[in-house]
Amino acid sequence: MSWLRPRRLWHPAPLKRHYEVVIIGGGIHGLATAYYLARTHGIRDVAVLESHYIGFGGSGRNTAIVRANQRTAENVRLYDEGLKLWAVLTDELDFNLMFFNCGTLNLAHSEAAMNGCRMLASTHNLLGVKSEVLDPQQCAEVIPGLDVSDRLAFPIHGGLFHPPGGIVRHDAVVWGLAKGASAHGVHIHQGCDVQGIDTRDGRVTGVRTSQGAIGCKRLGIMAGGYGSAVAAMLGIELPIHPLTIQAMVTHPLKPFLHHVFSSGAYHVYANQTLKGEIATGAHMDPQVNYTTDATAYYLKHQAEALAELMPALRGVRFMRIWSGLADMTPDMAPIMEGELGYEGLYLDAGWGYFGFKSGPVAGKYMAEYMSTGERPDILRAFQLKRFLENRYSGETASVMKYGHWD
Amino acid sequence: MTFRLTCPVCGKRDVYEFTFGGQERGPRPEQQGLSAEEHFRWTQFRLIPNEPQEEWWYHGQGCGVWFKTTRDPGTNREVE
Repeated sequence: MSWLRPRRLWHPAPLKRHYEVVIIGGGIHGLATAYYLARTHGIRDVAVLESHYIGFGGSGRNTAIVRANQRTAENVRLYDEGLKLWAVLTDELDFNLMFFNCGTLNLAHSEAAMNGCRMLASTHNLLGVKSEVLDPQQCAEVIPGLDVSDRLAFPIHGGLFHPPGGIVRHDAVVWGLAKGASAHGVHIHQGCDVQGIDTRDGRVTGVRTSQGAIGCKRLGIMAGGYGSAVAAMLGIELPIHPLTIQAMVTHPLKPFLHHVFSSGAYHVYANQTLKGEIATGAHMDPQVNYTTDATAYYLKHQAEALAELMPALRGVRFMRIWSGLADMTPDMAPIMEGELGYEGLYLDAGWGYFGFKSGPVAGKYMAEYMSTGERPDILRAFQLKRFLENRYSGETASVMKYGHWD
Repeated sequence: MTFRLTCPVCGKRDVYEFTFGGQERGPRPEQQGLSAEEHFRWTQFRLIPNEPQEEWWYHGQGCGVWFKTTRDPGTNREVE
């Protein structure tokens, strides 16, 4: 009856004093990078250091939405490959990631936003990604509860439907990647808080942690929203604002919302989890911070927005609210960089809202970058120096204005 | 948990009455002779360690004053 015995997905390993590669951050990006380093590039002497528990940060706090409907070709290509990886990884990790490609609908509440949708759909179709522009009636057919009448303060003019998008169980991704990385020899150390980074003669030599000093030849900062705080240990300035974004769930309801929908004007996105809860969020606190604070102020705002867009939700109760960090860059595109002034130092940060959907694909290419030292072509658009050369990615020329940092 | 900031005119008020104005970073560099790179470093790049920092806030939904306070990004709270 061996199948009755509980099996651990991954095993704690002894903390060595030196590793070939140390990765700061046991979230999806860090674990995926470690997994690909060990599996694809044969670098198995890898440690992932996590200050809390794996998936404590943004990896376990996002609303689990995945999609590839970005604005610019560079970004669409990356996210499209990321979207296709969920099925591959489910197989490879032998772990059900519960990928549900239900499609996403971005609502437009003005003619300008409709033009934005048309531009997005053209970009996507040109790159072989499925997207189409819907009129209000079609929006109501896709999502029956939606109020497409002119009673709304900002009536729905239409939307962008993106069928390949959907939701993935985010905890499963963390556990599955930990399982895969561990099986390939990666050491995962939880409760190991990095307090300093050591360098000598322009090279990274190791980190100082709550569990003592650990030496390494190559170091990856993949700490999600905490990335700017880790980089600050070396005095590295970044164009990143770490901000809390709040999310919440209602009590479980019977299945009625079969797609993800979002609205820039109402500042809301929502999907129904497999358990039946409406998971929703989007509100971002304005001040830079590294907390997980959630507030009643945004709970109220979210309830108002949801109840207006989808009147059937009136009276439904919120059960939980939480927040996670989003590391916002001025152009809403990430920074994946190995030229930071210290040999052996790599940074994967600035993902903003998009850290979850990009996790595995970012890990795949960061692993290639860290193992070869050569920047993969697909990462050329995400260099740090673009911010010093006024060559921003065009992501913000999208349906909506995001906020004060762009 | 929401928190309160100390407005020099109105006293302790809810944070959502205020607008965040960013870090206090000293005077803006002289434009004369400033390279593009130095300009972008000044406008976009920040050092945000997980420790208290001096920053600007605007009491937009109150008395309308701009003021400086020291706040810890690790806890969101003001520090004395």
